[in-house]
Amino acid sequence: MLLQNRKFMLGISVILLLVLLGLVGTLLTSPAMRRTGAYPVSLPPGQGTPLGTDSLGRSIAIQLSEAILKSLQVGLLAATLGTFFGALLGFASGYFGKLVDAVLRVLIDVFLSVPSLVFLILIASLVRGVGVQAIALIIGMFAWASPARQSRAQVLSLKERTFVKLSRLSGQSGLEIVFLELMPNMFQWLGANFVNAFLAAVLAEAGLSLLGLGPQKEMTLGMMIYWALSYGAILQNLWWWWLLPVLTLMCLFLSLYLIHLGLDEVSNPRLAAQA
Amino acid sequence: MTSYLRYLAGRALLWLVTIFVAVTVVFVVPRLVPGDPMDAMLSRLAAAGASLNAPQLIAQYRELFGLDRSIGEQYVSFLRELARGNFGYSINNFPSKVTDIVTPAIPWTIGLLSVTTIFSWTLGSLIGAVVGWRGGKSKFFQALVPIALVLYTTPYYILALILIFLFAFTWRIFPLSMAFSVGARPELTLKFALDVLHHAALPALSIILVSLGWWFLSMRSLITTQKGEDYILLAEAKGLPERHILWRYAFRNALLPQATGLALSLGHIVGGALITEVIFAYQGLGWVIYSAIKSLDFPVIQGSVLLLILAVTTTNFMIDLAYPLIDPRIRQAGGE
Repeated sequence: MLLQNRKFMLGISVILLLVLLGLVGTLLTSPAMRRTGAYPVSLPPGQGTPLGTDSLGRSIAIQLSEAILKSLQVGLLAATLGTFFGALLGFASGYFGKLVDAVLRVLIDVFLSVPSLVFLILIASLVRGVGVQAIALIIGMFAWASPARQSRAQVLSLKERTFVKLSRLSGQSGLEIVFLELMPNMFQWLGANFVNAFLAAVLAEAGLSLLGLGPQKEMTLGMMIYWALSYGAILQNLWWWWLLPVLTLMCLFLSLYLIHLGLDEVSNPRLAAQA
Repeated sequence: MTSYLRYLAGRALLWLVTIFVAVTVVFVVPRLVPGDPMDAMLSRLAAAGASLNAPQLIAQYRELFGLDRSIGEQYVSFLRELARGNFGYSINNFPSKVTDIVTPAIPWTIGLLSVTTIFSWTLGSLIGAVVGWRGGKSKFFQALVPIALVLYTTPYYILALILIFLFAFTWRIFPLSMAFSVGARPELTLKFALDVLHHAALPALSIILVSLGWWFLSMRSLITTQKGEDYILLAEAKGLPERHILWRYAFRNALLPQATGLALSLGHIVGGALITEVIFAYQGLGWVIYSAIKSLDFPVIQGSVLLLILAVTTTNFMIDLAYPLIDPRIRQAGGE
């Protein structure tokens, strides 16, 4: 089913291609090649290096390959955390109801309506200079609200189905029902949520980086744009320095969104019929 | 009318609770970071080589926010000072208060955001409705969908960079940065107004184009769903003019979820616009935050964050208040 969906396949192919480029660029280069001044400064693409160099004499191709992998790493870690805890809270809220539900619902509403970027700015400005993984953890901490709201709604509708009632009658505990009966019914749908969270996390990391709160010692797509702008790449007309990470980021977002649409169509056939 | 009042009361309560929880998060977070927030900040400042009258600042800050007292007492005084509109002192420009630094930035952010959001929401909804209604019949309409998709998945600031490159660097039509020309004084003259518009054009365009894509896509799919409904079939069978069915029937029904969408994505819009301001050195709140980050001025960052929370939640509340105007069901039955 999924493999026949054109949107999904197109999106996943682009992501895999990016990962491949990232791996090739990172594995085939030595630390000496990544150093500042390893190449002549401000070379346009094709003259000695495939994608040119920046004004500090670093290869854009090598930076870009590291940045792709690091940005994807942020997305993966943050989205896993956010989806997992979001689903957990959503299940708890929808399944247990009453006071748990009331409290969690308000919390979910709060974190949905307040832009999580403001909390991220607050935390990141306190713990400055942390690496990619810490940034991903911080982003993940604020990525649970949307998956939580959706899994709550999903549980509320599943809860009344006969197979859940049957397992309750046969004496399964609340947790058993959540993990053994409800979870398996939601995997595909959680996938779409995961992709959403992934997209949001990469976006948040790029945003934080542009504000100067990114991982200063590592290269992500956001940090690459940040450095390019800090050194005036646009005004010096070094278009390859800023435009390439920008285009890569756009490709990444577009393919993640296509994957999301594909997953949606497969788990909800009515959408596919509409399109 | 009582059901409307009950709806209002519920929304107002949620609004207050949201502000309360968010403010509490802002209070708790700095205290979870190990060490005294003030000392950590000052030592970092000293490391950065900044010169400041530290002892006086620490004394003032400790007294105002009671950092030597228990967490509970600190929390109460934090809330009390906030309620009085006191956001504390800036570290970098010590005698000035956070509010003195943040307040001048607010009109710029609100101006830019409200105009662009209302414009793109309205335009996107209108085009989306037309395309959703006649979708299959025109090649041109079908071509709009992938364009909108690309625009929507592009963050504002990415589009902003491309616009700067094209219209400010390659063809020098618009200025590269700032909200008005260097040396111009904010005053109520036509010349200054035109200068402001000239400077706002690119930041506004980047926000409008991206959100336009989303409002278009969302309205298009809402109208497509409405098209299959029974009441539309009935209206067609009655022989009502097509324009009437689209705008008075389908569009009105799609407007409510579209307004909900606006309320839900407000946070997203604000977050993106902050970074757009940084790219354009546009002197709104985003730029204030960026400058405070550069100069390690935590109280200013915290103050801006608190203001943003207030602004977003209050706008959401105002959208809630407008719902009953769109949806008579809320007016009569009290809504959900």
